[in-house]
Amino acid sequence: MADLIQLLTNGLALGSIYALTAIGFVIVYSATGVVNFAAGQFVMVGTFAGVATLVNAGWPMPVGYIGALVVMALFGALFYLIVYLPLRASPIVTVIIGTVAIGITIQNMALLTFGSWPFPVPSPFDGMMIDLGGTVISAHAIAVVIATGVLILLLWLLMHRTAIGIAMRAVAQDVKVARLMGLRVQWLLAFTWILAAVMAGIAGLMLGPMWFADVNMGDPIALKAFAATVIGGFGSLPGAIAGGFFVGLAEVLGASYVSSAYKDLIAFGVMILFLLFRPQGIFGEKIQDRG
Amino acid sequence: MITTRRGILSLAAGVAAGAWARPSFAAGEPIAIGAAIPTTGPLSLSGKQYFNTLTMAEEDINKSGGINGRPIKFVIEDTGTSNSTAVSAFVKLVQDTKPPFVFLSSYSTQNLATAPEVVKAGIPVMYAGGAVAVSASSNGWMFRIRPTDSLAAHGMAQFAKILKATKPGIMYIQNDFGQGGAQAAAKQLEAAGVTPVGSEAYGQNDKDYSAQLLRLREKGADVILTFVYPADGALLLRQIKALGLKTPVIASSASFLPASVQLLSPADLVNVWGVIDTFVDASVGGRMADFVTRYKAKFGQDGDAYGLAYYDGALILAEGLRKVGTDPKALRDWIASQKAWDGIGQTFSFDQEGNGVHGVAVVKAKPGTKTLELVERLKLG
Amino acid sequence: MALRLLGLVGLLVVGFALSLSVSEYALRLLNLAAIAGISVIGLNFAFGYVGLISLGHAAFMGLGAYILAILTTQAGWSPWLASVPAILGTGLCAAAIGFPLLRLKGHYLALATLGLNVSFVIVAANWIELTGGTNGIAKIPGLSIAGYALSGEQPFLWFALVILACLGFVASLIQSSRHGRAMMAVRDDETAAAMTGINVTAIKVAAFALSALYAAVAGCLFATHVNFVSPDDFGFAQSITFLSMLIVGGEGTIVGAILGATLLTFLPEWLRVLGDSYLAFFGLMMLGILIFLPTGIIGLFDRWRRRAPAPETAAAEVAQP
Repeated sequence: MADLIQLLTNGLALGSIYALTAIGFVIVYSATGVVNFAAGQFVMVGTFAGVATLVNAGWPMPVGYIGALVVMALFGALFYLIVYLPLRASPIVTVIIGTVAIGITIQNMALLTFGSWPFPVPSPFDGMMIDLGGTVISAHAIAVVIATGVLILLLWLLMHRTAIGIAMRAVAQDVKVARLMGLRVQWLLAFTWILAAVMAGIAGLMLGPMWFADVNMGDPIALKAFAATVIGGFGSLPGAIAGGFFVGLAEVLGASYVSSAYKDLIAFGVMILFLLFRPQGIFGEKIQDRG
Repeated sequence: MITTRRGILSLAAGVAAGAWARPSFAAGEPIAIGAAIPTTGPLSLSGKQYFNTLTMAEEDINKSGGINGRPIKFVIEDTGTSNSTAVSAFVKLVQDTKPPFVFLSSYSTQNLATAPEVVKAGIPVMYAGGAVAVSASSNGWMFRIRPTDSLAAHGMAQFAKILKATKPGIMYIQNDFGQGGAQAAAKQLEAAGVTPVGSEAYGQNDKDYSAQLLRLREKGADVILTFVYPADGALLLRQIKALGLKTPVIASSASFLPASVQLLSPADLVNVWGVIDTFVDASVGGRMADFVTRYKAKFGQDGDAYGLAYYDGALILAEGLRKVGTDPKALRDWIASQKAWDGIGQTFSFDQEGNGVHGVAVVKAKPGTKTLELVERLKLG
Repeated sequence: MALRLLGLVGLLVVGFALSLSVSEYALRLLNLAAIAGISVIGLNFAFGYVGLISLGHAAFMGLGAYILAILTTQAGWSPWLASVPAILGTGLCAAAIGFPLLRLKGHYLALATLGLNVSFVIVAANWIELTGGTNGIAKIPGLSIAGYALSGEQPFLWFALVILACLGFVASLIQSSRHGRAMMAVRDDETAAAMTGINVTAIKVAAFALSALYAAVAGCLFATHVNFVSPDDFGFAQSITFLSMLIVGGEGTIVGAILGATLLTFLPEWLRVLGDSYLAFFGLMMLGILIFLPTGIIGLFDRWRRRAPAPETAAAEVAQP
């Protein structure tokens, strides 16, 4: 039982990171239709923004975090200008390959800048452990789960209770109508990319202390986030969250109860089953793309 | 982004400056030696070390008169992350520079893919990949300058016996190194009459090992043997402590690379023994101290045993070139005939299959610190 | 027909001339390009003609390569004999997978095939008894014709070029056949195609299986060329590379597939002169090509020739009611 609680906690912490990555991916997808294969690199850049401010520049914790998120907002804006605008009218495949290509560039630039050694990233909860009779849980992991919950709430409030959020949803539903309504569509789309980059940045800052910062960590996270997105439902925020937690738990529980060698087949196998039998996922968008 | 661009510019400037300002103490047409090693992607963590130590060896060899007056020059090509890129890099080197000798990467699949080309090219190569299968493909042209995986596994199994463990558990990374090492260790342990209680795998990109570790605990493992790469090796040690496991750990060499140790706290290293290639530390004194201090001064990072293997390899090569010249076949026969060549990190004796290293070292952190000390050297096979 | 035969002969002549004049290293890259070219011509059936986005093409290439590797190294078959079950088995497997999977479209299909490719690598890396695990399978025997071993880069290239030319020719026959027009009709408007009596599912599955057959041929050539296979060679990144080759060359055309495969095989190698930053530049150049040449190299030629509708589109329009 103690072991089960331990596994559940670790699975949830892992799932939180997948969920946040998936949210960044879904925000962009639902507003712009772009399937962003560089989503994992966004998270990596977020972690290294933290390395730059907290480790290299040695800024104190809150300032360093804010600095890193400002960097991420700029990164999102830059990505909007350099990648999204030129490719916005291109077919899906071109966009997929374009984001993969720029992902290669981002990863190699990070390697050139930060080198190949992984970095330890500080956390406000460094070394704090909570012992619950045999189950040892790091305070950071609990903080990650709680922070993810709070972020999801804030994101919901932003999308449903603020003018900018409602305008973003209008753009996501129908760009032409949104434009006729007098919304400044391009600004809203730029804001979408910035928001997605900041969400990825938060994921990156939270995972850094758990997993170290490593320039190659982007793609594996993105793969799991894709599985999470499909399972939860393409384009659905609650889906991204549910999917993220599912994939995290499947990974840890699968390794424990099924097979550690084949555990990743569970996430991708379930993903394929969902695509076949319930392509709209748990909460997903209306299926237009199924014959 | 600005810092990135500046990074590239300064890098480019540095490369250019290095090319112009290289002091040439030896005159004449340089002898070009190829090196197909990973300088991009995840494998570049060790690849960068080879790059650095080969650069250092080139300077040192040339400062001491080169090869009978001719300077030596290492031409380096990236093997990236794919086997195909590794083969292309090797073929390019052979084509463009016509080298009498090439250094290969330390990644067994890259080396297995390159092996047929090596035989075709008919030039001797040195490599560091641990998989036993590589020597079977070498046809006498390939020389291994690091312990084989089975040798490291043998060392770990033997040390488990010294620790009087009766129920060892194994934890391994799912790649050529981990799978090979775990299999070899299980075989060695069983030969010694100890059956492993469990063998658990994790993916190269996994970040959470709690399920596997708890399973080993449940099965009553009294020691855990880990076959790891650097970053995951560090993370694994940290999670073992975070889960409150008091089980002693015998870790493979990557856990004790400077790149991994810098990620850990002293508490993470309690009760952890590392079975590594060789003890790279200034405290050893002599040529080792000289290597360690100069590496740190030159590159601003600590050198590791993997890089040192390439430095030693370069010195063996230089002596061979001085003695028998640049004829590939003569060079191969000379290297193959070396028994007890006294390097900085190892004493190299090349056997029938081209394996040059026959021992490993066991290290441990001094209590309460991350300073490593030598526990013992294991001479095997 | 005459034009096609001319193209085929042209390819062989250019390839043969190159094979006599370039270095061993360039020969190796030409071999890689020819193998990739065969694979990408295959992908062109699925994506170029029917519009099925497959991010799992490398898995089919890997399946073919692995079947050949296992049969030759463990059962002692000759590579020629082993290539038959390798190619047919892969095709059947693709048809079986395609039947349920190809109901999906767009990015759904892209992610499903991506998941398949990831799953293939997991199985290949862990089924150690059969696949050798992550260490892969070494010492795969090379091909020989009438006692003459195709072991050097040059003879192998001649062989690979003949296969490439033949398969390219077959592909162009299929393209201009009734079935080819049906494929493009399905791509352009599925409902309309179904209304003209085209069996949409059958066409999709056929195109997918055909693409896997070509991939398996490429896989067999790969295994006998490098004499070594490992799971890393067939990861999803390789699938994305194949798709990039098709887009860069010009989707929907066989010449484009070959040009794209050649360019993207050589480009990273040419960029090696840039040192450590070459992959960063490679990514940027790819993005640049996608932005400035949205219809690929073939599109560029077409723009030069100022001939408005490309032949395929015209054919597709004819097939539509």
